[in-house]
Amino acid sequence: MKKIKFSTVLLYLVLFFGALIMIFPFYWMITGAFKTGTEIVQMPPTMLPNSFTNLDNFKFAFQTAPFVTYFINSVEMMIACVVLCGVTTILTAFAFSRLRFPGRNLIFSCLLALMMVPFEMLVITNYRTIVGWHLHDTKWALILPFTTSIFYTYILKGFFDSIPESLYQAAKVDGCSDWKYLWRVMVPMSKPSLVTIMLLNAIATWNSFMWPMIATNSKEVRTLPFGLYAFISEGGAKNERMMAAATVVVLPMIIVFLVARKYIVNGVARGGLKG
Amino acid sequence: MRVRLENITKQFNKDTKAVNNFSAVIESGELVTLLGPSGCGKSTMLNMLSGILIPTEGKIYFDDDDVTEMPSDQRGIGLVFQNYALYPHMTVLENICFPLEIKKVPKAERIARATEMAKLVHVDMLLDRKPGQLSGGQQQRVAIARALVKQPRLLLLDEPLSNLDARLRIEMREEIRRIQQETKVTAIFVTHDQEEAMSISDHIILMKDGFLQQFDEPQVLYDSPANCFTADFLGNPPINKMEGVVRNGEVYVTDANLPSGVKIDLPEGKEVYLSFRAESAEYNPEASLKGTVIMTSVMGKEKITSIKLGNMEVRAYMDAKLTLKSGQEIGIGFKDTGVFVFDRETGERYL
Ligand SMILES: Nc1ncnc2c1ncn2[C@@H]1O[C@H](COP(=O)(O)OP(=O)(O)OP(=O)(O)O)[C@@H](O)[C@H]1O
Ligand SMILES: [Mg+2]
Repeated sequence: MKKIKFSTVLLYLVLFFGALIMIFPFYWMITGAFKTGTEIVQMPPTMLPNSFTNLDNFKFAFQTAPFVTYFINSVEMMIACVVLCGVTTILTAFAFSRLRFPGRNLIFSCLLALMMVPFEMLVITNYRTIVGWHLHDTKWALILPFTTSIFYTYILKGFFDSIPESLYQAAKVDGCSDWKYLWRVMVPMSKPSLVTIMLLNAIATWNSFMWPMIATNSKEVRTLPFGLYAFISEGGAKNERMMAAATVVVLPMIIVFLVARKYIVNGVARGGLKG
Repeated sequence: MRVRLENITKQFNKDTKAVNNFSAVIESGELVTLLGPSGCGKSTMLNMLSGILIPTEGKIYFDDDDVTEMPSDQRGIGLVFQNYALYPHMTVLENICFPLEIKKVPKAERIARATEMAKLVHVDMLLDRKPGQLSGGQQQRVAIARALVKQPRLLLLDEPLSNLDARLRIEMREEIRRIQQETKVTAIFVTHDQEEAMSISDHIILMKDGFLQQFDEPQVLYDSPANCFTADFLGNPPINKMEGVVRNGEVYVTDANLPSGVKIDLPEGKEVYLSFRAESAEYNPEASLKGTVIMTSVMGKEKITSIKLGNMEVRAYMDAKLTLKSGQEIGIGFKDTGVFVFDRETGERYL
């Protein structure tokens, strides 16, 4: 029989407990959503709810707050941000990576320097701009500030730079335009990086809380995280109901992550190899 | 198509002239090699032909068209790169189709022409693979097919074989020759490997430091080098080069302090190089030039012999039947061909 090393056992033990710690809050949240008000405060706690068919908490959540609207808003904001930001990121990264224009490096350095400014500091200027454009409390207010990203541009430019110049020359000699080269060669080649960028962006947008809280007031344009917050303060702090609302908020992202897991791991691994 | 280069100069910055006053005519349907040591301006020359670079001075003509400043895509050229430059996300077929796709050739015709080209370069059974699933030689074949599919007037290859291992290099260079002759495309092939150049070219252009050294058929380059550099660059084993001075119309080998027996009509005391190919020396007990055998190794009917001449060592082929022991003194005579005398300063050839 193959001998199992003690260190391997130890490693798996550590990983197991690590995973447990990561998973437990989710487990607690999801099971909590099915428990009644008395069950959730019961001592000792139950590991499984008495019945998985108890949907009262979800009903309550959906009745007191328009979670469906929030959900649609969130999805809209996420898709708009991911698509718009994806397009601007691709175009900007291509310009900085392949096109020759005066001041290219200087401009890129300035952009990188901007990355040092934390988002929280830009909130005030962004807010004033949005108010100035009369977009306060509209969906555009949620989307516009996130249609570009220096960080993602920087990442993608790094990948574009690693594509050999000779591919570009080969395409040029065949009469390929920059535009066609970008979409037919560079973008498909950077698919893993692009998917990673878009997923990170999707998660960040889905979870964004501070900006939606500042930029929106009315229920019609609220997104899920802010909606959840409002639900807690408006609907009173009932643990089991909060769990149900939180489950609704988190579940879509978990599904997205599971579906796209392959790409995320791929993208990270590739980046590592190139490193 | 005939390519005419007139006084081409390419200056990158104040002190680097990568190509210098370069003129040559490449005849239609020929395979011409640009040969020279690393950094001599071969790639620069090729990039000017492809339109990636624009010459500082001079003119390039394709047949009678002045293409000096014409954009690359209008020149009708095919390019093959050292690193193949295949699109990794496309299959072999898509790669070969790509130039036609850009030209908006209808899909059916595109596929037909690409498949035919794939047959020519023997990759027709690999059409559905991605470049990452091919060997280096196969990738290079695909790259050649992609360069040829739009029927270019001129095929340019920049060191296409240097990423391959030795055996594949020999196989692929014969393949390139075959494909070139079947398609009759004018081709310019860049390499720094003299053996590669000798074996496939109709003509060789030898370059050094941006200057054209000699432009001739391979055999002429070998038999009758224009200068000392050409003689040194071509041939394996490398030519033997000895310092000498002229005394009484004969070259004296300075290192051995002996007359060589090579007669030449030059002023007394002129400093020269006496160079001879390994196959141009012969065993001759009467010869005035004598050396000591260091070692021999038999290669078929000849043996290559290392001989000590004063402070230096020369190599010569000797008849395998001769018994030569290390330490033995032998006389070195010369045959009529493959013996040259060059000016020690300018490299100019006298004999
Ligand atoms: N973009 C450039 N800017 C400045 N100097 C350059 C540039 N490209 C090439 N050079 C210089 O021009 C000279 C010729 O370069 P080139 O690339 O043509 O050499 P090569 O013969 O192709 O060499 P190799 O066999 O190593 O590829 C070199 O001295 C090189 O340093
Ligand atoms: Mg080169």
